[in-house]
Amino acid sequence: MAFLECRRVTKRFGALEAVRNFSFALRPGEILGLIGPNGSGKTTLFNLIAGLYTPDEGEILFQEKSIVHIPPHEICRLGIAKTSQITMPFGTMSVYENILVAALYGQNLGMSKAHVAAERILTFVDLHKQRDEPAGKIPVPSRRRLELGRALATGAKVLLLDEVMAGLTPVEIEQALLLLKRLSTQTTLILVEHVMQAVMGISDRVLVIHHGEKIAEGTPTEVAGRPEVIEAYLGKRYT
Amino acid sequence: MILFWQSMVNGLLLGGIYAACSAGFSLAFGVMGVVNLSHGDFVMLGAFITYWLFILVGMDPFLTLPFTLLILFFLGFFLQRLTINRLVGSPPIMSYLLTFGLHLVLSNLALRAWTADFRTVQTPYSGLTMNFAGLVIPYSRLATFIMAMVVILGLYFLLYRTETGRAIRATAQDREIAQLMGVKIFKIYTLTFALAAAITGLAGSLISFTFVIHPQMGLPFTITAFCVVVLGGMGYVPGTLWGGIILGLVESLATTYLTAGISVAITFFLLLIMLIARPQGILGKGIVE
Amino acid sequence: MLMRRAGLNGILLPLLILGAILLLLPLLGIEGYRLRLLSLLFMWVALAGCWNLMSGSTGYIDFGPVAYFGVGSYCTALFMIKGGVPFLLSVFIAGWVCAALSLAIGLSTLRLQGAYFAIATFAAAEALKQVVLEGDRVLGIDFLGGAHGLTLPSPPSGIFFYYVMLFLMGLVVSLTAVIQKSKLGYGLRAIRDAEQAAELTGVPTLQIKVRAYILSSSLIGCIGGVEAYWLTYIIPDDVFNVMRTIQMVIMTLLGGMGTILGPVIGASFLTLISEFLGAKFVYDYLIFVGLVIVVVILLMPQGIIGTLVKKRGKSSWLF
Repeated sequence: MAFLECRRVTKRFGALEAVRNFSFALRPGEILGLIGPNGSGKTTLFNLIAGLYTPDEGEILFQEKSIVHIPPHEICRLGIAKTSQITMPFGTMSVYENILVAALYGQNLGMSKAHVAAERILTFVDLHKQRDEPAGKIPVPSRRRLELGRALATGAKVLLLDEVMAGLTPVEIEQALLLLKRLSTQTTLILVEHVMQAVMGISDRVLVIHHGEKIAEGTPTEVAGRPEVIEAYLGKRYT
Repeated sequence: MILFWQSMVNGLLLGGIYAACSAGFSLAFGVMGVVNLSHGDFVMLGAFITYWLFILVGMDPFLTLPFTLLILFFLGFFLQRLTINRLVGSPPIMSYLLTFGLHLVLSNLALRAWTADFRTVQTPYSGLTMNFAGLVIPYSRLATFIMAMVVILGLYFLLYRTETGRAIRATAQDREIAQLMGVKIFKIYTLTFALAAAITGLAGSLISFTFVIHPQMGLPFTITAFCVVVLGGMGYVPGTLWGGIILGLVESLATTYLTAGISVAITFFLLLIMLIARPQGILGKGIVE
Repeated sequence: MLMRRAGLNGILLPLLILGAILLLLPLLGIEGYRLRLLSLLFMWVALAGCWNLMSGSTGYIDFGPVAYFGVGSYCTALFMIKGGVPFLLSVFIAGWVCAALSLAIGLSTLRLQGAYFAIATFAAAEALKQVVLEGDRVLGIDFLGGAHGLTLPSPPSGIFFYYVMLFLMGLVVSLTAVIQKSKLGYGLRAIRDAEQAAELTGVPTLQIKVRAYILSSSLIGCIGGVEAYWLTYIIPDDVFNVMRTIQMVIMTLLGGMGTILGPVIGASFLTLISEFLGAKFVYDYLIFVGLVIVVVILLMPQGIIGTLVKKRGKSSWLF
């Protein structure tokens, strides 16, 4: 019984096949890494799952039910949340209010319960000190944590994390990894990452995507040694 | 039956003029994302330049066209430099509000200067018509139509066959890449807007040959331009030809078979339906935000 | 959060005092021209506030609110004239008619982005005006009065309308304040700041936008209905006039979109200016308005209140 499943999903943009015949199954509680060169279709896949795009072919199932024609906000309420590569905070609201909105609408709570949930998440992502700052003006690592906090506050059972570690210093990456490890005890994660040590180190399993197709699947060690993977990633090495 | 064909011919001639009036609007939107709500006022200004040159200096209307082209070009140039350039990168609402403000200023200054009187440009050859298979075709309308076609073809040529045109189209498609390839973006924006203004003014001059003009005529032309451009595809300049003709035909038929007033309502409903059902235009090449 | 609550309390007392004063003014001898001017001012604050409720909150610029003003006017007039329905009930029903109409228009147009929504709403308003103008002629009936319009029964005194407009103004301003702090308010602001992110965070964006649109439109319809009775005579060119939309837009823009006091300040300022300039120099007023728009957009796009708020450094919605 798969938690989240893609079956032969295909998405075209004009003549370009961004995602091609892509299938995978996500197990509850696992951390799944999704790696591939730039432009290989990772973000498209995430957008498909989150409901921003509709697949041209194939099926996407969450807890055995199809989510293909469901609007993104409903998919969020069902329990799948996505962060964006380019963070999109609600700029005129404070950090706290950003998370509050997610709790209010993502979990469909009343004001008082939402406040409680928001406080908890704020502490969990360690943004307590910046709670009243306008969300548009905080530094990049905080924005990443806010993006994560917002996704969490929607009560997500599955988190699609799109390059949350891009542009972070090694120290910040360590902190992020700790956060993710704590997260994975309650939530299932799919990580898209270019920061290899991070994603390979933390994932239970890894999928490799190239030109929209799945070219490898397995544990990090299994995948790292595969010639197709090395070829696709000419220049990137796992240390 | 002859009524139908007369109506169709009228519509076609009208459509060509509409297309010329709207091409500049599509250009500005396609390249800069600016929805210019003072667009119709450039039509009005072009028309009045022709009128005043005709009345005061006795210049033949056709000869006034280069003047209109130049004057409106510079007007567009300065407006862009002073105001619109500052909005690049701002949310689009800023451009509608700003250009709406410009509309209020331009149309009311004109009103104050020239009063609300309706005026026409009457030359000795104004009323002449030709008879073709029982259909009445005024020469001035025909000439205007032909000139409008020349304008559109000229614009097409400029955009698709010259270096500058290529730069403009590249900017429209992807500003960052164009920049990386050495295109000076702000120069292109200024040039584009000035060009759009010039063409629109020229169309306005053509309008004065066959239509009654007055300082408040701008807003209806802005609305017409919207319709034409949505029909033809926002930002897709060749599409304005089709958009113009379709609109011209629809309006003409509606005026003939229903009332003139209802034809305006039909235009709006057409616009509304297009926006809701097919915002990318009839040909599907419009930019949908 | 707490700071914001204190902010609200801080401004609440002066507002209540102002409200009490306004309530007592007619009894203190204000009458005739001044009473009418105040009533007009209240109406514009209410109208601008309604526009702000929709466009200020969501960032979707609505260029067609006058449609509901007109529909509200005509509905109220028709109920009263043809149906003998009492005034307040007519206005109430007119509000519901506008709600239904705005549901239809909103559902179709709010899916469109930016420029398209603006154009579509503008087109809808103009189309409705044409329908009212030509409807009788096309259908061969005598119902809407065409270009000649409708005449309503004799209205009560100016004082009646003073209080009705004061009530409407108070209603719109309080509603704006209540919504700011509510779940709906947060959803609206999320949509304005980052619509796609809002959608991904579970905000049902279309639903929320439509809700704000219906609320704004039905209130505008009610105000239109009241004005119809006040003026006693309505014609399409007046109640469907795009100038009303323009006024609503720049009053809110000048005062500050999305703020509570913005429409109040903007509407008050412009109503008074137009009284001064408009009576004597109509074109000058419009030129002035146009220049105001240009200047505001280029120099202080947040409007008066918004710029003041920015200078204070906090993102507060009242002050």
